[in-house]
Amino acid sequence: MFRGKRRAVVLVAAVCTGALLAVVLLAGWASGGSSGVSYLDGNTNAVLYAAGHRPLAPDFTASTLTGSRLSFSSYRGRVVVLNFWGSWCVPCREEAPTLAVVAEQYQRAGVAFLGVDVRDTTASAEAFVRNFGVTYPSVSDSSSQITLAFTAAVPVSGTPTTLVVDRTGHIAGAVFGQATYSELTAMLAKVTGKTAG
Amino acid sequence: MTDVRVPEADPFDAAAQERDGRPPSPAAAAPGGLGLAGWLKWAWRQLTSMRIALVLLFLLAVGSVPGSILPQQGTDAAGVQQYYTSHPGLAPWLNHLGLFNVFAAPWFAAIYLLLFASLVGCVVPRTFRLVGSARSLPPRAPRHLTRLPHSAEYTVALGPQDAVQVAERALASHGFRLRRPADGGGSPDAGEPWVSAEKGYLREVGNLLFHLALLGVLVSVALGGLFGYKADRLLVQGSTFADTASQLDELYPGRLVSDADLGPFTITLNQFEASYIASGPQRGQPSSFDAQISYTARPGGPVGSYRLEVNRPLSVDGAKVYLIGHGYAPVFRVTDARGQVVYNAPTPFISGSSGNFLSEGVVKVPDAQPQQLGFTGIFVPTAVDVGGVLQSAFPAADNPVVSMIAYAGNLGMNSGPSQSVYQLDTAGMRRLTTSPQVLQVGQSLKLPGGQGTLTFTGYVPWVSLTITHDPGQIPALVCGIAALGGLLLSFMVRRRRVFVRARADSGGGSTVRVGGLTRTDASGGFEAEFASLADELRSAQRAAAAGQAAPQPGSEPGTEPDSEPDSGHSQHEGK
Repeated sequence: MFRGKRRAVVLVAAVCTGALLAVVLLAGWASGGSSGVSYLDGNTNAVLYAAGHRPLAPDFTASTLTGSRLSFSSYRGRVVVLNFWGSWCVPCREEAPTLAVVAEQYQRAGVAFLGVDVRDTTASAEAFVRNFGVTYPSVSDSSSQITLAFTAAVPVSGTPTTLVVDRTGHIAGAVFGQATYSELTAMLAKVTGKTAG
Repeated sequence: MTDVRVPEADPFDAAAQERDGRPPSPAAAAPGGLGLAGWLKWAWRQLTSMRIALVLLFLLAVGSVPGSILPQQGTDAAGVQQYYTSHPGLAPWLNHLGLFNVFAAPWFAAIYLLLFASLVGCVVPRTFRLVGSARSLPPRAPRHLTRLPHSAEYTVALGPQDAVQVAERALASHGFRLRRPADGGGSPDAGEPWVSAEKGYLREVGNLLFHLALLGVLVSVALGGLFGYKADRLLVQGSTFADTASQLDELYPGRLVSDADLGPFTITLNQFEASYIASGPQRGQPSSFDAQISYTARPGGPVGSYRLEVNRPLSVDGAKVYLIGHGYAPVFRVTDARGQVVYNAPTPFISGSSGNFLSEGVVKVPDAQPQQLGFTGIFVPTAVDVGGVLQSAFPAADNPVVSMIAYAGNLGMNSGPSQSVYQLDTAGMRRLTTSPQVLQVGQSLKLPGGQGTLTFTGYVPWVSLTITHDPGQIPALVCGIAALGGLLLSFMVRRRRVFVRARADSGGGSTVRVGGLTRTDASGGFEAEFASLADELRSAQRAAAAGQAAPQPGSEPGTEPDSEPDSGHSQHEGK
């Protein structure tokens, strides 16, 4: 009688330990999965959000590097490429020429490009824009509020991050890290239905 | 830990008592020839034994010692670097043993998990046993009570049944749980009614609480490791940052922390002031630091203001923000060969070991034309010339100067790995100035060949902040207090038993024997408790006898109709 009880007790203890481990493992597992998300060419840094699963891009109003006020909602109805960058950031400098090229190619397709300058100063940012021949506007995120607002929608964990926002103001694609020409054009082709022209 | 893991030797253990008279379990003996199951059972029993738990607890304590002696990767990466340079032979070995990151080392996790398994393996069976012992009745009264460590014997003018009934009532009023012959098993001892009483179950509750709380402490610490994070950020006066991954200088997230889990608060450093002792032997020592900050817990939320000081952290959105350091950020303006302002920013310089906030830093101007520019230099808050060498005489900025060396060429910032903002990679650069150029506020350094100008326009303070979020902190505190409470309970409360037997005397009265037994009497006191209890029983019985004698002088107490001891008695829960 007693030995049986003892065995049951040992069993319960073992099961409890096992269950605890399982919970910890499952918690790790579950945080990985979500629906409506696919990766461009299997690259987990280039994320596509299926229609219906697209996070809403938050609105913001901020000063551009040239001093005028810009409101993100004024872009509604257009596809927008939003690029988080900083003049101090090595991969941002690396991708800057690519972005300038893609911006020019998709201008006729009605795609707007907008930069969000992060942890930077106006003098350095202006020098960057001049240096790389960036023609599209950038807003300064000196109070970090734009980054913060977008982090709630997609994991903007660093610079550079490039978001493709569809005509309804929803985030259709994101490149976390340095964006390549093929990633940008593939995403824009999907969202606009047009190829580079 | 207390004496809870010795069921074999424990006369108070209900489960152990059930085993009385059975052959000892084979697994308790040497495990030789038991097969795999036997070995596993043996190993589990060893693991869950108090000795191993104590060894593991000790190892855990010993294992965390290097974590406080040696610099740790997570908290002091620079210290680890320093250690490598000062102990080039030893450091790689220490690193192999994980001693620079003790709390993430596999061996530390092994101790931790084994201790956890040991505690679970102890507490779970213990819970069942406590429940069993809480439901079981005290043992039958032994036949020879005078052989017990505490005993008393006296006669009363009351029949045995009545004498025992009076004793029952008295014991029950003291919170004892009772057992009478009719309650369970065995035939009533002919002609000798008895009652067994036991109290002090709170001891087991305390024991259990202690173990559960210890388990809780481990879970809390794990919770902090899985869901907590630590981050650092250097913040220049007048600037703002938000608690998101891209805005932090260093982020050490727990294993299950994603970037979205960081608190959405924003902090602006409005003003930082440090004051120093200006004279005496303590000259140069800081007398106060305080950082005036404003913050919002979430975007668009109300703006709060706070005076951040050392050891006066800000609690915001579940995180704590500590002021851990400060320094100077000289402000430079750089124009390039084309006369365009390509840099104009406060640039944090980091104070080194030379004291009095003599600080080093670099300025990188990646968008200068036609060539990238870079500067290395020092900021000296109170500059004095000691034999041609710049030194800082005081930490406050009484005579601030910078001393800069200029470079031109390729900073390595247009491709390749990310760079530290505090280091200049001069491999692709050419030195423009032969000697360091000392500048006072407002002075400029003209670069040779019309390559541009660097102007030292002023300086602002910066602070370094550490943000910690540890969801296990409060649970760990609560569990720690509960563990202490449980330990105190289990030390202060004793399980004790009192037995009463009454035998009929020839004269119509009875001889009452009272016996007492306690498990551990290290703290003393049961002797006195027993004596007073025995006295109380006797006086209660004598009072009952006197009361009985007055209204019904001729009655025979032994033949009273109500001789069923358990009728009308409710089960008394032991305390």
